[in-house]
Amino acid sequence: MITIKNASKAYGKQAKVLDDINLSIDPGEFVSIVGQSGAGKTTLVKILIGEERVDSGQVIAGDWDITKISRREIPYLRRQIGVIFQDFKLLPKKTLAENVAFALEVSGGTPAKINKIVPSVMKIVGLDDKKGRYPNEVSGGEKQRAAIARALVHQPKILLADEPTGNLDAINANEIIDLLLRINKFGTTVILVTHNKEIVNYLNRRVVTMEHGRIISDQEKGKYLL
Amino acid sequence: MLSLFRIIKFSFQDIARNVWLSIATITILLLALFSINTLMTVRVISDSASKAVQEKIDISLYIKPETPEADIMALKSKIESSPRVKNIVYISKESALANFRDKYKNNQEVLAALKELGRNPLSPSLTIIPSNFSESNLLINELKMLDSQIIESRDFADNAIILNKINSITDRVNEVGLFIIAIFILTSLLVVYNTVRVAIYTHRQEIEIMRLVGASYSFIYLPYVVSAFVYTLLSIMIIIAIFYPFLTLLQPYLEVFFMGYNVNILSYFISNFWQVFGLQFLVILAINIFASLFAVRRYAKV
Ligand SMILES: Nc1ncnc2c1ncn2[C@@H]1O[C@H](COP(=O)(O)OP(=O)(O)OP(=O)(O)O)[C@@H](O)[C@H]1O
Ligand SMILES: [Mg+2]
Repeated sequence: MITIKNASKAYGKQAKVLDDINLSIDPGEFVSIVGQSGAGKTTLVKILIGEERVDSGQVIAGDWDITKISRREIPYLRRQIGVIFQDFKLLPKKTLAENVAFALEVSGGTPAKINKIVPSVMKIVGLDDKKGRYPNEVSGGEKQRAAIARALVHQPKILLADEPTGNLDAINANEIIDLLLRINKFGTTVILVTHNKEIVNYLNRRVVTMEHGRIISDQEKGKYLL
Repeated sequence: MLSLFRIIKFSFQDIARNVWLSIATITILLLALFSINTLMTVRVISDSASKAVQEKIDISLYIKPETPEADIMALKSKIESSPRVKNIVYISKESALANFRDKYKNNQEVLAALKELGRNPLSPSLTIIPSNFSESNLLINELKMLDSQIIESRDFADNAIILNKINSITDRVNEVGLFIIAIFILTSLLVVYNTVRVAIYTHRQEIEIMRLVGASYSFIYLPYVVSAFVYTLLSIMIIIAIFYPFLTLLQPYLEVFFMGYNVNILSYFISNFWQVFGLQFLVILAINIFASLFAVRRYAKV
């Protein structure tokens, strides 16, 4: 599903942020990426969604060779790779359902498709009773669930989650992780970037540990190392 | 079709949801348009005033009534040889009388007095049109020095005063005016450009999210193009609605100020409507769209 070969990246003339990364992720896997602040985790996520480019090496995600992707193709890549962030990135002037529908509207989805998909993803994330609320009227966990619902509207093969629980308390965080596990069970490859030791140990899945732009360990059923 | 409809919907939603920002944008556009048009008005007035006065200028030499025609013709060709003279017209005693009669055809008293007199009291004259109006002073000096027995009187005193006045106004408008106008228009356009950028800055979050969820480029860019069109169209329509009454109010004052001369600012703006406002629409629209696309591109990084 994802293959990264000898990928390196530096911002401008600074030291390398990613240094000869090699990583292969199979379809349906649930992988946690851990590492100290500044290790290059977010940079890796940005490369996978085509927002940053590698300086050398090759990155393949799904059907896309991201190293060769053109500007025109990026919107299509992003419909196949859902992404969520610590800060949710919801539009404050739209309701949760409108935020989710927005992702379909701006990619040309027909009203029929929107009417069908929005309720179903809202149901998957357990928000069918809070559709009409605005982001400032719901909890952080619910905001993150709305963001996940939005990431699911194109039925992506890959879901990237960059510290999705960073702003949440333990209970809400666990709910989000359980939701991600459920999505993974449906067949979506999930990549979770996190700082949270408890979560990593609880998951008991593959763990990739990064340090100074390098992968220093890659374990099946791993524990939080640092 | 669906996309086009949705793009227009996004644009109108955006204008309505950020109504104060929309009003601010339109206000800035209006201020820019108003100053551009005011400067244009000043220029049109000074231009047409100067033209009107030029048309009216006649520098006339009156000849002693009994002078033989041959002497007048000699004087005429002498004056004609000066490079400062464009044209010279000889008006005989008879045609002067005909002109006079025509001018006062509605004034019985004057005509009766003329009849009473029993003879033609008017002098033949030479009317001289200068080749270059800004140099007519020099021509007048030349004519003042002209020494000829047959000249009865020379009539150019009040013209010179008006002409000097007009010339100094147009000169100033041309030299300083053009420079100031250029700076002013540039400044207004820069302000417009920045306003649009600020307006789009407030949308950076939305643009970022659109990118993340895989929005088509047309959905990211085109609503701003539509908004730019709407803002420009609205402000041009408002400026027209403000400006014509303004000109209508101004016109009577102009008529008093330039009494006897044909200075009509209103008819200028009416007969040049499309050139004036069409051009302004296109320029403002272009700047608006350019600023929008540039700003979106910056926040969209695409
Ligand atoms: N746009 C940028 N320009 C320059 N340097 C950047 C940029 N983005 C990130 N960096 C640098 O690259 C390095 C890696 O950043 P990155 O965001 O990938 O780290 P991270 O592992 O996600 O850290 P965190 O756990 O704090 O989120 C950092 O040293 C950071 O300062
Ligand atoms: Mg990060």
